[in-house]
Amino acid sequence: MRYSIARDTLATAFGFAVAFLPAQSFASGNKIALVPGGPHPYFAGWVQAEQDAAKDFGISSAEYKVPTEWKLQAQTELLESLAAQGVNAFGFFPGDPVGINSTLEEFKSNNIPAIAIAGCTQDPTDAEFCFATDVYQAAYMGTKALIQSMGGKGAIVHLAGLLVDPNTNLREKAVEKAVSETNGAVTLLQTIGDTDDQEKGDQKVNALLASKKDQVGGIIATAYISSVVATKALRNLGDKRIKLVGIDDDKIVLDGIHDGFVAGTVAQNPYGQAYVGTYSLDLLASGCSVKPGAPWITTPQTAHFIDSGTVLVTLSNIDAYKEELKALSHKMQKTFKDTYLACK
Amino acid sequence: MRSCLNDKFSRTPSRGIADLLIRGSARFGLLFILLVLWIVFSSLSPGFLSRFNLGSMFRSVAVDVVVGCAQMVVLATGGMNLSVGAIGVCAVMSVGYFLQVLNLPLPIAILATLGVGGLLGWLNGVAIAKTGVNSFVVTLASASLFSGGMLILTKGVPLNALPPALGSFGRMSFGPVPALALVTIAIGVVLHIAFFHTTLGRQILAAGANARAAEMSGIRVNRIVVVAHSLSGMLAAAAALMLTARLGAAMPSVAGDDWVLPSFLAPVIGGTALSGGEVSVVGAILGALLVATIRSGLLILQIGDFWLQLFLGVFLLAAIMFERYRATLMLRQQVRRL
Amino acid sequence: MNKMFEFAIRRQWSGILAVIIAGAIGLSIVTPAFLTSFNWFVMLRSVCVSILVAFSQMVMLGVGQMNLSVGALGGLAAIIVGGLMDAWGWPALPAIAFALMVGGVAGFINGWLTVRTGINGFIVTLATASAFAGINLGITKAVPFYNLPSNFLAFGNGKIGFFPILLVVPVIVTFFLAVFFSRSVEGRYLLAVGGNSTSAELSGISVSRAIVISHVISGLLAAAAGVLAVAQLGSAQPTIGADWLVISFAAPIIGGASLSGGSISIVGTVIAVLLVGLIQNAMVLLAVDPYWVTFLLGALILVAVWINRYRAVHLDVD
Repeated sequence: MRYSIARDTLATAFGFAVAFLPAQSFASGNKIALVPGGPHPYFAGWVQAEQDAAKDFGISSAEYKVPTEWKLQAQTELLESLAAQGVNAFGFFPGDPVGINSTLEEFKSNNIPAIAIAGCTQDPTDAEFCFATDVYQAAYMGTKALIQSMGGKGAIVHLAGLLVDPNTNLREKAVEKAVSETNGAVTLLQTIGDTDDQEKGDQKVNALLASKKDQVGGIIATAYISSVVATKALRNLGDKRIKLVGIDDDKIVLDGIHDGFVAGTVAQNPYGQAYVGTYSLDLLASGCSVKPGAPWITTPQTAHFIDSGTVLVTLSNIDAYKEELKALSHKMQKTFKDTYLACK
Repeated sequence: MRSCLNDKFSRTPSRGIADLLIRGSARFGLLFILLVLWIVFSSLSPGFLSRFNLGSMFRSVAVDVVVGCAQMVVLATGGMNLSVGAIGVCAVMSVGYFLQVLNLPLPIAILATLGVGGLLGWLNGVAIAKTGVNSFVVTLASASLFSGGMLILTKGVPLNALPPALGSFGRMSFGPVPALALVTIAIGVVLHIAFFHTTLGRQILAAGANARAAEMSGIRVNRIVVVAHSLSGMLAAAAALMLTARLGAAMPSVAGDDWVLPSFLAPVIGGTALSGGEVSVVGAILGALLVATIRSGLLILQIGDFWLQLFLGVFLLAAIMFERYRATLMLRQQVRRL
Repeated sequence: MNKMFEFAIRRQWSGILAVIIAGAIGLSIVTPAFLTSFNWFVMLRSVCVSILVAFSQMVMLGVGQMNLSVGALGGLAAIIVGGLMDAWGWPALPAIAFALMVGGVAGFINGWLTVRTGINGFIVTLATASAFAGINLGITKAVPFYNLPSNFLAFGNGKIGFFPILLVVPVIVTFFLAVFFSRSVEGRYLLAVGGNSTSAELSGISVSRAIVISHVISGLLAAAAGVLAVAQLGSAQPTIGADWLVISFAAPIIGGASLSGGSISIVGTVIAVLLVGLIQNAMVLLAVDPYWVTFLLGALILVAVWINRYRAVHLDVD
């Protein structure tokens, strides 16, 4: 018995001693990490952008790490592990807009800046700012485009993403607003949530088409996988009557536009988000801080919002939209420091 | 409690570490593995012992231990509780509801939530005792019932405007030791005393070891089962409270299925028997620490974020097999000595 | 007439069948969309995978064990068949064969570990589930495989009238399992071991062998379910199998399997899967909150088990 107590005490003492030592792993060269909320094809657009930014601005280390599943705990574990390995600036998509704040508070008290990308945290928050798509505007724009392609009348269905994602709620409101502006010519038949998943989305879309195919004139999909699944379903059905406007630019959706099954899609700007995001993180970690008087947008979630831009992709600009977005990103980067940051 | 066969007064000469390992209790073997891992991980990556990492580990261990205890009290009776996660998420949303919607003061909300957990556990116990159906099936069904019911009532909407007092407690820590860890230790101490020094505790263990014999000795096994399940529900609710404090928000996406595997691993690695009748609170704590250490170590060594899950499964199997092997060796040694 | 009535009473699944028929009639009155060809196609296609998943667990229940790695195993097979076709360009049939083989090997590992180490099958399959899911994640890094050959996709989407071509697989498997358990020696041995392993052992039946064989069959079935899921979805998603556990137990139990082992009902399992499929379809058609499905599933299991106990105790059946 004596042995186990002695060893136990020794280990604990050792642990305490090292823990109380000043954290030496936070060296001077900036180590930046981008962390999505979980595995999702949308974030693939971040990888190249981060590398380009690291190259263009001479950042010593820029990593991209994905939590193994869409669980807040997986993300916070990963974030803390990275911090323990010396990362001193984070860009992340919040696994939960409120739940992530306690980790951010910890980071802030250790002088590690963090910004929310592609999705925002809920104020009061220690994230420096949120750099994302104005999802309300994007959904609104998409629905208006759908209504136009339907000739201004008919019934539409909204395929929404995860119900627990606050972005979903904003998108629902935007769709409803666009519909209400038609003064009854267009009606919202149903909103189906949790379709941003291959298995579930597939099931729900097929069941919807099975039961209500003839009543539906148009579909607005405001989530990545929902758009993919809807495109495939319409293609399988061979249906070109039902108009579909989706979001993001998965190859399947783009092919759908080419072949006439999809009217258009709202492309977000993951490249710009990661490119400008990495750039600004480097500045923040080097001592810059956010400028209070900058032209922040206020959303229901945060008072420090910057729109990363969207583009409506249709058959007319399907080959040029990527360059459009890249040009937009570079333009944003050039003016970013002066507009939003105060550097010594 | 270990039997007399390996008390320190036996006269056989010690043959070194290996012998000590074999003869020592299972808990000692676990502690040894833990220390080895800590030394290995910290030497390979100094970040392992940083305040960040330790704090993160201890905070998740704190919750995992209580979840493990929730399972442990049912394992003691020879059954299992597959609805620990479901009760957990119900408790999370309950406390959110009590605090945000009903605006109850914090202590009342906490008590009410523990009550909810106890009630759900009680339902499990009664269903098992009254119908005589296997606890596996009943709790598998009730897990679906509870989580489905919760989702219907809450529509999956998180409640994140909770009073800040809860969140600050969750973030509080004394050096690298989070306040939540102290709560866990308190719970652990209470459970240890309950199992080994109270009549009820002994009755639970007896019922688990041999239900027939216990019944014949005058122990009302049905009542014991109900009590054990109610206790399990309350512990699950306690873990849920700790998790909510940690996050500062009540979200329906936590707990649930995530808790099922850890709830078994911690006690089983720590020496709680699946067949019932034997528990170890210290073992559950060490078991949870072991799992957290492996996860944290592999993460910080960057051994494939995505291969982590595989390593975890293999490590755990190895740990259990090692423990089995050790127990067999010990038995053989004892028999030889006789 | 009396004989038929007695036959119905003695079979657990007769009640479920009655519920299905009543439900179908009621549903077709409320939503005529229920009777459309497309709807039947969608519904039947969705039960194909579930039937195999349920069978995978049913075999284990027959021998008195359980397999918690059904979902993880199926997911791994799904990834392998998808990965071989997408990343390595294999044609469909060899890829499927390889994936099934992996399923069998994984099942063998499960069985071997359970028998050799003497650790409870519950813990073993819990750990291997984690390991298989880990391999799945490690290979895919959570990115699905999309590029599947067109003949494979046609198999998944094809239909004759409203019968999905996919349905052929569960039908054949059902037939084989029925023959296996009622006519073959191995099958009878499995059930004997499940019923009472001690007396089976004393009668000269090798319990270890039975356990290993049942794990292999379970693995093969889970792998087949994974392959079908890929065909149905048109892509190999790493999340396939994630929520198979509950249905894998629910269907055999609702169908009348005994938890202690030795008594299973193939017909009952199929009918139970049909019931769940019907409920899911009804939920969508009626635009009911999908969370009700989870809730109802739990309630169904309890009711089914309670009825089973009632029959066993009061009607002297079993």
